[in-house]
Amino acid sequence: MPIAPATASAARFRELLDPERVIEHPLERKLYARDGSITEGKCGLVVLPETRDEVCRCVQMASELRLAVVPRGSGTGLAGGAVPLDDAVVISLARMNRILDIEPEVPCASVEPGVLNLDISMAVSHLGLHYAPDPSSQAACSIGGNVATNSGGPHCLAYGVTAQHVLGLEMVTADGEVLELGGPAPDPPGFDLRGLAVGGEGTLGLVTKVCVRLTRNPPEVRTMLLDFDSVTAGAATVGGIIAAGVVPAAMEMMDQKMNVAVEAFVGAGLPVDAATVLLVEVDGTPAQIAAEAALVDAVGRKHGAREVRVAADEAERQLLWKARKSAFGAVARVAPNYYLHDCVVPRTHLVGVLEEIGNIAERHDLVIMNVFHAGDGNLHPLIAFDRRDVKQVERVHAAGKEIIEACMAVGGVLSGEHGIGLEKRDFMSLQFGEVDLRAQADARCAFDPEGLLNPLKVLPAGSRCGEVALSRDSLPPGTWL
Amino acid sequence: MSEAPPSRSEVAEKLAEASAAGSPLSPRGGGTHSRVGHPGGRPAEFLSTARLDGLIDYTPQDLTITVEGGMPVDRLSDIAADQGQFWPQVGAGNGASVGGVLASAASGLSRLRFGPIRDSLLQVVVATGDGRLVTAGGRTVKGVSGYDLPRLMTGSFGSLGVIVEATLKLWPRPPARQWYVRPGADALAGGRALLRELYRPGAVIVTPEATHLELVGQPEDVVAPQGFLPADPPDRPTGDALVRAAVSPARLPELIQALGALELSFAAQLGVGTCAVGVESAHQIQKVREHALALAGHAVVEDAPAELRRDPWGPPPPGLRIMRRLKAAFDPAGVLNPGLMPGGI
Ligand SMILES: Cc1cc2nc3c(=O)[nH]c(=O)nc-3n(C[C@H](O)[C@H](O)[C@H](O)COP(=O)(O)OP(=O)(O)OC[C@H]3O[C@@H](n4cnc5c(N)ncnc54)[C@H](O)[C@@H]3O)c2cc1C
Repeated sequence: MPIAPATASAARFRELLDPERVIEHPLERKLYARDGSITEGKCGLVVLPETRDEVCRCVQMASELRLAVVPRGSGTGLAGGAVPLDDAVVISLARMNRILDIEPEVPCASVEPGVLNLDISMAVSHLGLHYAPDPSSQAACSIGGNVATNSGGPHCLAYGVTAQHVLGLEMVTADGEVLELGGPAPDPPGFDLRGLAVGGEGTLGLVTKVCVRLTRNPPEVRTMLLDFDSVTAGAATVGGIIAAGVVPAAMEMMDQKMNVAVEAFVGAGLPVDAATVLLVEVDGTPAQIAAEAALVDAVGRKHGAREVRVAADEAERQLLWKARKSAFGAVARVAPNYYLHDCVVPRTHLVGVLEEIGNIAERHDLVIMNVFHAGDGNLHPLIAFDRRDVKQVERVHAAGKEIIEACMAVGGVLSGEHGIGLEKRDFMSLQFGEVDLRAQADARCAFDPEGLLNPLKVLPAGSRCGEVALSRDSLPPGTWL
Repeated sequence: MSEAPPSRSEVAEKLAEASAAGSPLSPRGGGTHSRVGHPGGRPAEFLSTARLDGLIDYTPQDLTITVEGGMPVDRLSDIAADQGQFWPQVGAGNGASVGGVLASAASGLSRLRFGPIRDSLLQVVVATGDGRLVTAGGRTVKGVSGYDLPRLMTGSFGSLGVIVEATLKLWPRPPARQWYVRPGADALAGGRALLRELYRPGAVIVTPEATHLELVGQPEDVVAPQGFLPADPPDRPTGDALVRAAVSPARLPELIQALGALELSFAAQLGVGTCAVGVESAHQIQKVREHALALAGHAVVEDAPAELRRDPWGPPPPGLRIMRRLKAAFDPAGVLNPGLMPGGI
C-alpha cells in the first residue's frame, strides 16, 4: 500500500486532538526521529493522545489517510523500534501515564502504557510489593515499551521477563478496534493473543492498558561482588553456580574496561584491577539465603575469586546496583557514542564467546566493553565509538556483524531483551529459515493485514503481506545493514 | 486410517496430503486430553506423535532440554531427575506427551511458584496444517527474536499445527519439596492466611474437605505448619466431567463459596485463580459458568464426554477475527481439529 508523508495531514489530526497535541514543527519532529539506538529516521508528524478513545481515532485517521503509524513510549528502545521512517506519524503514548488500579489481593496493577517502569514499583512499595522486570532504563522507559519489547533486566534471571508478568492487555489494532486480552483470570479460552502481542514491537497493535502481575518483596536479600583475575574464571563461576542448582535472583558481569569507567562515574569501590567482577544477588528466606550465599562463595573461590564482598547494608547494596545500572551512562567518558548488542548464548558457551568478542575488538581496533546478564547468557557487548569518524563507524558495523555471527554460531539468539526493531531485522535470516519467517509474517498480518503499524520493523524486507512499497534508500545511512 | 509417522518430516508429509485431500485429522500425543473442545472438532482419523519420542539435546548446565513432541512427560521427568532437575509441569498426567500438555496448556499443580506451562516453552517446531515445518523462539533461556509463536502454540489444542519438537526450561530440583494436608471444611480462611504468611509456597489448594499445601525450598523452610500432615498432592475432583473455572485470584474465595453451595467437588488454586470442578450434567456446567462469568472469569469444559461439550468454551473470546486469520494461515485447508476451538475455529 502507498504510504503518504504524514506532515501534510496535521490539520486532519487537529480535528481529533487539541492543536498543541499535534506536533508538526520540524525541530520538535526531529526529537521524535530517534530512540536510544544509533538510528535516525524521519518523523512526519507526532500526535499525543491522552485516552484510549483518542488513540483509536488517531489510528482510524491514519488508516483512512494511509499513513504508517509508529507507536512510541519513552523512546529508550535500543533496536530502533520507535524510529519513524519516511515521514510516518508517531503516536506517543507517553501522556497516558496514570496508574489506574492496584489490587493487593491478586496482586496486580492496571496501568496506562506511558507509566514508567520504576513508578509502578514505587507506587506499591508500601504494600511490600514490586514489579519484577527491572531494565537498567527503568527510571525512564514506559511499561508500554516494556510490553512491546518484552523487556528484561537483572532480576529476570529468577523472576522471568515481561511476558511472565503481563496478565492482561488492552490494545488498539490497526483498524481501530479495541481488544481486551486476558486479565487477572488466568488461561482465557482461545489462542493466546496476549502472549503473542507481548514483544510485538508496536507492529501488532497499540497497547493502551496493561495489567501487570506484582511480586512480593523477598523477606531477605544478599548482594555479593566477586572479582576475578580472568574473564574465563568469572564465566566459569556463572556456569558453576547454575550447575550446582542455584538460580540466583540476579547474576551480572562487568569486565575491566567497564569497571574502570563505572568506578570513575559512581565511586562504588569496584576493584578496577580485576579482569572481571560478578554481581550476584540471592533472595528469599533466611535459610535459603544462607545456603545459596555459601554456595556462591564456594563456587566463586573454587574458580579463583580474589574477594567476595558482601553488601553490609541496604545503602551498600544500592550503591553496587547503581554501579551496575549506570554502566551505559559511564561510557560517555570513554567515547561519545556507543553501540550496544544484545545476543543470548547458551550459558555453557559464555567463555568462548567472550574470548571471541575480545578477538573481534582487537581485529577491528575498537574498544568493546562488556556488562551483561551473565546468569541467562544475555550478552551486551558495547562498542564505544565516535560517530564523526566515518572509518571507525564502518569498523563498528563490521565488528557488530561478527559478534552476532559468533553468537549465532554457538546456538545463540539475536536478541535477549531489546528486540529486533530496525537494527536486526536483516539478521533474522541468520536465526530463522524462510518458512519460519513466513509464519511470523502471517502472525503479524493476522493483526495488521494492511501493514500499517510500524512497517519495516522486525521482519526482513519482502516477507510481509500488504508490505509498504518503500525503497531501501528510505533507510537512513548508518541503519544496520 | 490413523498413523504414527516415525519422523517429523513424515508428519509434515501426512499433513500436506491431508490438506491436499481435504481430509481432517486429529493430532494425538498421549491421548490424555482428547475429551476437550467442540465434539465435532475431533476427526476420527488421528495423527499420533507416539513414535516421535526422542531426546534431541540436553545440556544440564544450561537448564534447557530439547525433546521430540511425542516424548512422554514421565520419561522427560526421569531424564531430568537423573541430573537433579525437573520440569514443573509434570503433574500433567500419566501417559501424557510433552507436545500434548503444551498443546492443551495443562499447567502443573505448583503453578503458584513455578508459573504456567507457557512460561517454560523456549522454542517450538510445529508441522502446520499444510505440512510446513516451522521453528519459532530460541533454545536459549531468554530471547525476544521475532514473534512469540511458542506462546501461540501453547494452548492451541492441535488446531494450528502438530508440535514435533519443544525446548523447555528446566529448574534445579529444590533441596526439599513436600505436600501437606489439613482436613476440615474451614479451608478457605486458613488457605488465605497461608498465602499471606508463607513466602512463595508451591501451591495452596482448597477443596470442600481440606487444605492442601506444597512447600518448596531449604529443609528448614519445608516444615508442616500447625495442623498439617505430610500427604500426597490432592486428587482430581470427583465427577464424570471436569470444568476448569478461572477468576481473578482476588475473587476466588467468592467462587469457592458459590461452588460449596452447589455441593460440587472442586480443587481451587489460591493465588492462581483456577479451580477444577467435578460435574455430572450440563446443568451443573452451566451453573459453574454462570458464577465464573459473574466474577469476570470464565469456565471451560476440560475433560468431558461429548454430550457435555455442546458449549465447551462459553462466550466467544475477544479477537476472534484475528484467531480466524491465524487458523487460516497455519492450517489453510482447515484439516486440524476443525471447529474444536472457540468460535468454531
Ligand atoms: C541506558 C539504557 C539501558 C537499558 N537497559 C535495558 C535493560 O536492562 N533491559 C531491557 O530489556 N532493555 C533495556 N533498555 C532498552 C529499553 O529501555 C527497553 O527496550 C524499553 O522497554 C523501551 O521502552 P520505551 O518506553 O522507551 O519504548 P520505546 O523506545 O518508545 O519503544 C520501543 C518499542 O516499543 C513500541 N512501543 C512503545 N510503546 C508502545 C505501546 N504503548 N504500544 C505498542 N507499542 C509500543 C515502539 O514502537 C518500539 O517498537 C535500555 C535502554 C537504555 C537507553
